[in-house]
Amino acid sequence: MSTLDLLLHGFGVAFQPINLLMAFIGSLLGTAIGVLPGIGPALTIALLMPVTTSLEPASAFIMFAGILYGAMYGGSTTSILLNTPGESGSMMTALEGNQMARRGRGAAALATAAIGSFVAGTIGTLALSFVAPAVSELAFIFGPEDYFALMVLSFTTISVVLGNSPLRGAIAVAVGLGLGVIGIDAQTGQSRLTFGSLDLLDGIPFTIVLVSLFAVGEIIYVASRGPERSSGMNPLSGGIWMTKEDWKRSWKPWLRGTALGFPIGVLPAGGSEIPTFLSYAVEKRLSKHPEEFGSGAIEGVAGPEAANNAAAAGILVPLLTLGLPTSATSAILLSAFQGYGLQPGPLLFVNNAELVWGLIASLYIGNFMLIVLNLPLAGMWVRLLMIPRPQLYAGIVIFALVGVWGLSTSWFDLLLMFTMGLLGYAMRLYDFPAAPVLIGLILGPMAEQQLRRALAISQGDPTALVSTPISATLLGLALCIVVLPPLLRYLARRPAGDDRYAASRPTH
Amino acid sequence: MSAGVSPRPWWVPGGVIAFGGVMLYGATQLGQSDAHSGVGPGLFVTIIGIALVVLGVALGVQVARGVAFTSPEGEDAYGEVDDEDRTHRGPLLLAIASLAAPLVLMQAAGFPVTAAVVFAGVARAFGSRRPVVDILTGAVLGAVAWFFFNWLGVNLGPFLPLLSER
Repeated sequence: MSTLDLLLHGFGVAFQPINLLMAFIGSLLGTAIGVLPGIGPALTIALLMPVTTSLEPASAFIMFAGILYGAMYGGSTTSILLNTPGESGSMMTALEGNQMARRGRGAAALATAAIGSFVAGTIGTLALSFVAPAVSELAFIFGPEDYFALMVLSFTTISVVLGNSPLRGAIAVAVGLGLGVIGIDAQTGQSRLTFGSLDLLDGIPFTIVLVSLFAVGEIIYVASRGPERSSGMNPLSGGIWMTKEDWKRSWKPWLRGTALGFPIGVLPAGGSEIPTFLSYAVEKRLSKHPEEFGSGAIEGVAGPEAANNAAAAGILVPLLTLGLPTSATSAILLSAFQGYGLQPGPLLFVNNAELVWGLIASLYIGNFMLIVLNLPLAGMWVRLLMIPRPQLYAGIVIFALVGVWGLSTSWFDLLLMFTMGLLGYAMRLYDFPAAPVLIGLILGPMAEQQLRRALAISQGDPTALVSTPISATLLGLALCIVVLPPLLRYLARRPAGDDRYAASRPTH
Repeated sequence: MSAGVSPRPWWVPGGVIAFGGVMLYGATQLGQSDAHSGVGPGLFVTIIGIALVVLGVALGVQVARGVAFTSPEGEDAYGEVDDEDRTHRGPLLLAIASLAAPLVLMQAAGFPVTAAVVFAGVARAFGSRRPVVDILTGAVLGAVAWFFFNWLGVNLGPFLPLLSER
């Protein structure tokens, strides 16, 4: 069957009434939870994970698609109105969007973000529909050593890209890898690092780590900063819709943001940080009003927001075709797949075609539902943010408790949530990025499996790891990422006055 | 420099190295290689343990040089709070205590009661001064969450274990 037939079939799945309902509930719940400050898409999916356990896999993933888009939209709402991005991808949106809100142009910022997300999400999903099957064909030629090299590459890029310090990023990845080996070894059945605890045999649940690091740790941190002075602004004073001028200034950034976001998202180490940063830089350079940047330029909202959503679609390409998560959001989606006994990868397109294409089709539907739902409801979401801060954060803790206690009503899970929450607080205090922990946790066991498979085939000969052109190239790239930046910095510092590297860097 | 963070947090690299040490100790109890596949369950653990120790030492060097552990301006992933604010010990301890409450309460008292206590504690840590209203809000929120998620098929334990046992 051609891609188009498969996609139409997927729409058949997604348009079943129960699945349409799931997409609707997902978008609504996703927006409602995602709009809470500090809660990004990954955390929203984790918190709502227990809700989907009683559903069929296809319906559950369709609901996830709704939650994902809903949470992204909710996240940009909070970024714009409260300047509290829940994930790194909406940091750039917060920068200009919050300035617009402070000037009473919050509604225009929300609208350009929503429409930009819709445009980027639709184009991105369209690209996903055609790129993913091709990549999954390509993925069949990947041997275990190639997979292992790919994962090493993503560990190194994640260390460098996420967060402010490569060293702290690498430590976060290593901590995640360490947490990932705890439990029963899948290949030999031996228990590893459980130190006699029966509760640890099943390993450390991904959802709990995510909820604890992102929500619990964050709440302890914010509480420890003391009371906040409030800003009595009305973000909606300057009219509720985009002006003609706004449209004129928005449509090109939407398209440019999409063009940057999707391809970078597809790369096995893309994530959504780089495209949003790049899009912001590009718009600032191309704008006719560069002086407005920093004080509420609409291009600075339209571009990065489109880039963020296009990257979110792009990230699904390595996730679905290679089983490779490159963001906290795709890591939680991967753990959801594993929860249903499904392993994303090239075989998924063959064995579970109905589910994959239903999911892709529901991305179109979720995207559409969101714009229909949220343009009129924007006022209601804004009101949700008027809840006083103490009660808002206390409510978030209750959601976190539902997410953790609802998993299996286990006391040990509560203990894990508490200790991981303290870890999250310490990481927040010393500026360690949390997402690499999650990616290490979920990708570690997969990397180990590929490593052992590759070495088993070669009967323990480590040169097998660089024996194919693909694996050698990928490992070479990984090495460059670790070695090159410090080397360049060293070279740039050595000959006095020679600042070629420093000068050439900001212009991507 | 953030005033809330001690300038030489030696315990951070210490913790990383200690975690690496636990990994290496755990690895000694596992086979590093095996006759059939060449690789045993301990090899990967050893690699991670070594990586953690090396990275921890590198972090220790940074600490010794006095590298500040704060994000450059404008790149804070959350943007919520100025990092210049110092740590407020009272709210911090109250928040931690409230989040530990479920460990004691959840099994004995059930979800709604736990939710009431946690809600009131966290709200107070954030500066709320209306404990009675907060406890009631938390209890109502907990009960509503219990019924709503129960309806969605999520098991949150017995509603009020204290009542059902009597």
